[in-house]
Amino acid sequence: MSQAYRDSTYLFPVTQALHLLAVTVFVGAIVIGDLRLLGWGPVGQSRASVVRSAQRVLLWAGLAVLVTGIPQFTTNALTYHRSWLFILKMWVLAAALLFTATVRHRVAVADEGRLASWVPRVVGAVSLVLWMGVTISGRLINYYG
Amino acid sequence: MLSIVPTFAWLEGLAWTTALRESPYGYPLIETSHVAFIVIFAGLVMMMDLRLVGLAFRHVPLAQIQQRLFRWQMGAFVPSMGTGILLFLVDPLRYYQNVFFIAKLLFLVLAGLNALVFHLKTYRKGETWDEDPHVIVTAWRAGAASLFLWSVTIVASRLIPNNWFK
Repeated sequence: MSQAYRDSTYLFPVTQALHLLAVTVFVGAIVIGDLRLLGWGPVGQSRASVVRSAQRVLLWAGLAVLVTGIPQFTTNALTYHRSWLFILKMWVLAAALLFTATVRHRVAVADEGRLASWVPRVVGAVSLVLWMGVTISGRLINYYG
Repeated sequence: MLSIVPTFAWLEGLAWTTALRESPYGYPLIETSHVAFIVIFAGLVMMMDLRLVGLAFRHVPLAQIQQRLFRWQMGAFVPSMGTGILLFLVDPLRYYQNVFFIAKLLFLVLAGLNALVFHLKTYRKGETWDEDPHVIVTAWRAGAASLFLWSVTIVASRLIPNNWFK
């Protein structure tokens, strides 16, 4: 199956294109929450409301990122295995996922008055750096992988 | 008949475009920045579109999403355009006949026109339905059209390296 996928003229590039589309929606849902945490986004709404509203989009887009990302890896596993940028992307991705599911979520849903104002700001900035790190390192694999 | 090809060939032969094209870092870094800015810009636009079609942020007033995100959308759009124009100038002969590049430009213009009509016409009376989870049908259509147009623009962008229709 991997062989057929690799040999197809259209399948691999189309999967890459759909992967980028899924990444775009995912990043949009992350950035809207991070902007709110930084105090710059839709501030008329609570942090919890914005982040919770974005959660469903994150889950669906994340699923689409996985479905379009895994076949790209399995068809070229040996090449990716040797790519330092791919390994970096996976480590940053693991850190971003862990941070989003734990620290970012807890800070976002915490009572607004309970935390010092710098806490959500720092969390929003770290989240933004981590997720853009995943996106940028993923893109650079094409050139330096 | 006048041809644009000599102009593109002249552009491609300039010292700075040649240096950027042949540098191991110039082109890849500009292209990566281009993608990063587009992802942020289009991602935020799509969040507003999802609100319009009622798939997300239904209880957030549209003004909160539309107005508070606008400066961030533009803050990502301007550098994405700048880096995009630079990428074209560096290698114009590679792009000008590429079907996916032409499709990308076409859908980009259509998405821009759709946004313009929404902001200048549909959203003018937005205060009456701003907080309603279900927006008026013209606003719903604008959101659905925007989702479709930006999706095609992004897919076409990623397919540019594959010129299947030479």
